[in-house]
Amino acid sequence: MLAVAIEGVTKTFRQHVAVDHLSLQVPRGSIYGFIGPNGSGKTTTLRMIMRILYPDRGVIRVLDEPGDNKPTDRSILDRVAYLPEERGLYKQMKVREVLHFYAELKGFRRSRPDIDAWLKRMDLSAWADKKVQTLSKGMAQKVQFIATVIARPELILLDEPFSGLDPVNTDVLREAILELRRSGATIVFSTHDMGVAEELCDFICMIYKGRKVLDGTLESIQDAYGSDTVRVHLESSAALDNLPGVVKITDFGRHQELRLAPQADTQALLACLMQCGRVRHFEVTRPTLHDIFVRIARPDAAPEEESHA
Amino acid sequence: MRKMLVVAVREYLAAVRTKAFLITLIIMPVLMSGSILIQWLLKDYRDTKTKKFAIIDRTPGTRLYPAIEKTIQAYNEKTIDPATHKAILPRFDLELVSASMNTSEAIAEQRLELSERVRKGELFGFLEISPEVLGWSKGEMGKQEPLLRYQSNRPTNLDFPHLIEKPLLHAIQDIRMDEAHLQAPREQIRAIMRPVSIEALGLTSRNPATGTIEDASLQGRIASVAVPIGFMMLMFMVIMMTATPLMQGVVEEKMQRIAEVLLGSIRPFDLMLGKLLGMTAVSLTITTVYLGSAYGAARQYGFAEYIPPDLLAWFVVFQALAALMYGSLFIAVGAACTDMKETQNLLWPVMLLAMLPMFLMGNVLQEPNSTVAVGLSFFPFATPMLMILRQSVPPGVPSWQPVLGVGLVMLATLLCVWVAGRIFRVGILMQGKGAKLNEMLRWVFHD
Repeated sequence: MLAVAIEGVTKTFRQHVAVDHLSLQVPRGSIYGFIGPNGSGKTTTLRMIMRILYPDRGVIRVLDEPGDNKPTDRSILDRVAYLPEERGLYKQMKVREVLHFYAELKGFRRSRPDIDAWLKRMDLSAWADKKVQTLSKGMAQKVQFIATVIARPELILLDEPFSGLDPVNTDVLREAILELRRSGATIVFSTHDMGVAEELCDFICMIYKGRKVLDGTLESIQDAYGSDTVRVHLESSAALDNLPGVVKITDFGRHQELRLAPQADTQALLACLMQCGRVRHFEVTRPTLHDIFVRIARPDAAPEEESHA
Repeated sequence: MRKMLVVAVREYLAAVRTKAFLITLIIMPVLMSGSILIQWLLKDYRDTKTKKFAIIDRTPGTRLYPAIEKTIQAYNEKTIDPATHKAILPRFDLELVSASMNTSEAIAEQRLELSERVRKGELFGFLEISPEVLGWSKGEMGKQEPLLRYQSNRPTNLDFPHLIEKPLLHAIQDIRMDEAHLQAPREQIRAIMRPVSIEALGLTSRNPATGTIEDASLQGRIASVAVPIGFMMLMFMVIMMTATPLMQGVVEEKMQRIAEVLLGSIRPFDLMLGKLLGMTAVSLTITTVYLGSAYGAARQYGFAEYIPPDLLAWFVVFQALAALMYGSLFIAVGAACTDMKETQNLLWPVMLLAMLPMFLMGNVLQEPNSTVAVGLSFFPFATPMLMILRQSVPPGVPSWQPVLGVGLVMLATLLCVWVAGRIFRVGILMQGKGAKLNEMLRWVFHD
C-alpha cells in the first residue's frame, strides 16, 4: 500500500538536471518529510507527483494506480491535494466562494458543511463572507490550507507549509496535519525546518542536487551516522581547541557540539574538557537532523560525506 | 468537462459581478460615440479671426472682381451677430492684386510671390482667375487647365472658395451670355440650365401590416450605413472589453501563483477552455444588453425593419466565434508574460489582426461584393467583423458565404485554441521573465 512510488525519475530543464534518478516510496498513512536545500529538486518532485510536470524518464505512481495508467491521466488527482510553496488566492473572491470553487475543481460537491467545519476549526468563521484581499497573511495561508484539503484528499502534498506562520498558527496547522493522518490521509511535505521534520515525520527523505541522499525513519538515519556527537556545556566559556579526536566544533552559544573522528575516545575527551573548566553537561549522542543536513549540504561537505557513506 | 464548467462559471461571475463591469457597460458606448458628440458640440465654435485673400483677376479690365467683392461685402455684414455685436463668423478681407504679364514665367513668379505671403501669414489664400474663363467657344470646352485656381496652405478650409463659387459662376455666365448676344432673359436661361443630380435611394416595399406601398426613406439610407458600422464597432468593442480582462486574469493567476494550484486539479487545456467559455458567455451577455436595448429602441421608434432578426442571429454566432478566437490569442499572450507591462510587447500582433477589419471598413462598405471585399471576409481573423458588415449592407450576401465563413473561423479558432493551449501549458508555470516570440514558437512546436 503505497501513496507514492517513484522509480528512477529524471527531470531535466534544458541543461540543468533538476531531479536525477530519484526513487522513493511513501507508505500510506505516513507523514513523509522532504528536506533539502533550496533548488535541490523538492518542488520539481512534488510538481511531478501532481502531473504539473512530466518526468523525462522513470515512473511515478500515485495511490496504487494501475501501472498502465498514462502519465497524462489526471483522474487520480481528484484524490490528491497540493499546496504550492508560493501561494495565491483570487483576491476578489469571498473566502467561502474560493473554498467552494476549489472543492468543485476536485469534483467534491456539497462541500458546505466541510467548509464551515474547517473555518470554525481554523478560527476563520467570521471571515467566511469577506473578500480574500481583506485577510492578513497568516489568515490567507490558513484559507489556502483549507482550500488544499477541502476535497478530503487521500494524499496531501504540502510545499513548505509552515513557512511564514507564527507559533500559534504553526501549532494549529500541525494539529490539523496530525488529524488528517489519523483519518487515513498520507501527508508529504517539504520543509527547511529540521525541528518540524524531526517532530512530525515518520519518514524523512533528503534530496540534494537532484539526488536522494537520505531516506528512512529519523532513527535509521541517525543510526547510520552513529553516536559521533558530543554535546557539552562548560561553566566558563573557555576556548575549546586542540581536543583529542574532535574534527569539528559547532558553537550554539549556550552549548557546544563536538563531532568526533571515528573511533575517538570519549573518556579521553572528557578528561581533556575537565582540564578546560567545570563540565556541566556531557552527553554522547547521535547527530541531530539539522547537523546531518548541514554536513551534507555545506559547500565544504563533500569529503566528510564520503567518510560516512 | 465538469471542471471546465466550474472554471467557466467562476470566470463569468468574476467578470460580471464587479462594479467595474457595470460601469464599463454604461461608459463604453458613451466613449465610442463621444468623438461624434464632441464634434457636434463644437460645430458652432468657430475661429472668428479675420482672414485675408488675394485675388488675381486676369480677365481684361478685371471684370469678375466686382462680383466677388459684392458677395464678400454681403457676407461680412453677417459675420457680426446684430444682437450681441459679437463676431460669429470670420470676416474676409480682399486684396486685388494686379495681374502679372501673361507669360508662363511671370505667372509662375507671381504665384510664388503670393505663396510666400501665405507662408508668412499675411494672406490666408489667393484666387487666380484665368482670362479664358470668359470664353465659350466649342474649342475652349475641352481645356484641361483650371480656369479658377485657389491656393492656400490650409487646403481643408474651403469656406472662402465655397462662398464665392456660385456668385462667381453666375457673373461669368452673365458675361458669356452678353458676349454671345443671347436675347432670352438670364433667369430663363439659368432655369433651363439648372443642374440635375441623381438621388441614391434604397428600395420601395409594401408594408405587410398596412398593405400600403412605402417609398424608400431617408432613414433607410442612413440605416443602410449606420447598421453595418454599428454592428462592426459593437463586435470590436465587445472583444476588447472581454479579452483584455481575460488576459489580465491569466497574468494575475501567474503572479499570484494561483495557476499552480489550479493545474493540480485540472488539465491546462481544460483550464484554458473554461476561461474561454466564461469569457464568451461574458461577451454574449454584453452583446445581449447592447443589441437588446438597441433593437428595443429601434422598435420603439419604428426603425426595427432595418435590423432583420436573421442578421442578429448571425451577429451572435460571429460574436461567439470571435470571442473564442481572439480570447485564445489574448490568453496565450497573458500566459507568456509575467506582468501586465510585458503584455504590451506581445499584444500588438494580435491587436493588428483585430484592427484589420476596422481599417478596411470604408472600402468594404463602398463595395461590399467586390472580389477584394469577399476575399478579405474569408480571412478568418477578419471574417466575424467583415462578414457581418457585408451581410448588413443591402442587398446582403449569398447565404453560402456566411456559412463558409463560420466554417473557416471555426477551423481558425480550433487552431488558435490549440496553439494557445500549448503556450498556456508551458507559460502558465513560468516565473521571472516573459517569453520572447521565438520561445513561444518553440513551446508550440516542441515536446
